[in-house]
Amino acid sequence: MSLESILNDAKQAILDIDEDKAVEVARQAIAEGIDPVKVLADGFSVGIRTIGDLFSRGEIFMPELILSAQAMKAAVAVLDESLVGEAAEKIGKMIFATVEGDVHDIGKGIAIALIQTQGVEVIDLGRDVPVDKIIEEAETHGAKVIGTSALLTTTMPNQEKLEIELRKRGLREKYKTIIGGAPCTQRWADKIGADAYAEDAAEGVNKVLELMKH
Amino acid sequence: MSEFFTRMGDGSGIYMTAAEIREDILKGVKEAADHGKIPDLTQEEMDYLFDIITMPGNIVGVERGREVVSTSDSGSCKMTYHANIAMERSMAVMVSEKVLGADSIDIGNMDYSYKAVKQIVHNETPVMELAQLNAVIPVLYGSMPNLGLYTKPDGPVENWSELLPLAKIDEACAAQEEAVEHAVRDMVFVAGEMYEAGADGINLDTCGASGDADFLAGLLATEKIKEKYPDLGVEIGAAGEFVLGMHGKLEYDGTRIAGLYPHKQVKLTEKAGANIFGAVVNTNTNKTFPWNIARTVTFVKACVEAAEIPVHVNVGMGVGGISMSEIPPIDVVTRADKALIEIGKADGL
Repeated sequence: MSLESILNDAKQAILDIDEDKAVEVARQAIAEGIDPVKVLADGFSVGIRTIGDLFSRGEIFMPELILSAQAMKAAVAVLDESLVGEAAEKIGKMIFATVEGDVHDIGKGIAIALIQTQGVEVIDLGRDVPVDKIIEEAETHGAKVIGTSALLTTTMPNQEKLEIELRKRGLREKYKTIIGGAPCTQRWADKIGADAYAEDAAEGVNKVLELMKH
Repeated sequence: MSEFFTRMGDGSGIYMTAAEIREDILKGVKEAADHGKIPDLTQEEMDYLFDIITMPGNIVGVERGREVVSTSDSGSCKMTYHANIAMERSMAVMVSEKVLGADSIDIGNMDYSYKAVKQIVHNETPVMELAQLNAVIPVLYGSMPNLGLYTKPDGPVENWSELLPLAKIDEACAAQEEAVEHAVRDMVFVAGEMYEAGADGINLDTCGASGDADFLAGLLATEKIKEKYPDLGVEIGAAGEFVLGMHGKLEYDGTRIAGLYPHKQVKLTEKAGANIFGAVVNTNTNKTFPWNIARTVTFVKACVEAAEIPVHVNVGMGVGGISMSEIPPIDVVTRADKALIEIGKADGL
């Protein structure tokens, strides 16, 4: 089977929410000696990004989003088996929290579901999480990336507080930070000194993977 | 090249050229038309929208004779928590009517959910009675279905936000369906108490905030309220430009609720028996005001054309083209209002 066919099948398996097919395609790719990273990046990930786009347009819904993420996860598990050493360097841990004072976590949940499918271990601290707790957990788990979500203009300053606290404690260079949530913008990220901003879950996946490389 | 002052969706001020504004208007219109599968605005309408955005003066207004009525959600609380003026709610109703010129208003509790309100409804009805004794304008009672409050540990139902990530889809859907029954019961109960207290209407605000089951609860509650209290007005306010599918398969009158845009939301609202539909289009903080208002007007125009009941567009922080900022800037608010009324043909705000 050609590379193009494998990539297309990988994408289609996710779009069809067909976990068995996704696993079969992943195994076939390995059997044919195709680079697993390429299958992931140009096949399965294309599918999951399309799913994310359809979700944001109201054309597919949460159950489909979750099940497609499950299919992706199963395929990634197969591909992971063939990635030795190299994969371990690419995948890291991430802390994710909705900041203190904010109880919104639907968007965070979606983002986590998608990010996990890419082999990133996400430690979800839940909602209404104080900055001290976020830093403490990042230290405990040896995270590379800290992600915070805020859905209220009144809670956004806690994202800035995280940046300030990290600097105060001499930990700022140890972590990459990413922010998201409806009122957040790239300008806000620039203003507070966050490393990245993601407008939605699909963009969050790409940004987190990029941050993991550093 | 001359530039015009406008704003981003987060309220920050920017300057744009005429060409940039026109480009963003077109992109906003196309985005709405593509997502909602609805018609574009006409070139004439886009030209007029450009005129509204670039009009001199901080404040703009509708042409004489084009004025519309206003309703509000939790209006009687807002002077307290936005302006920091401690004011009893029935007094806030009077100020809204006699000082601010409100056409109608709702009384809501700070715990703005029917589940929370049912337990203190005996404290809420005297506020309504007092307001009704003093006000001339229609006074409604408002709250949210807020289906999430029915999940454990706050409520009796399993938490679908925990079940879904575990791919326990059937269990998550069953939990949502069960929560609908609880929410409908609470909304009908509070509506009945408020009817007895003299309320002119009930506002089921932000229906769909917890997804399609939340929207369904609003529709089913409306049916029952209208059956029991036919002369009690019902306003259904939406939560977003499309209904989020947390369940995905729920239907009302044979129509799947998830993914419906305002022009289809309003048809279900009508079928349920509501008197007013509060259309919502969310503001994108990363886009400009011209993009956001063009997109909003496109959705609203299609909604009003489809509607047989009045459409009162939500124009507050983060919706209706208004920026997502603590104090919505007056330049943006008045331009959004004018555009929604004169181009979108909104019946009210």
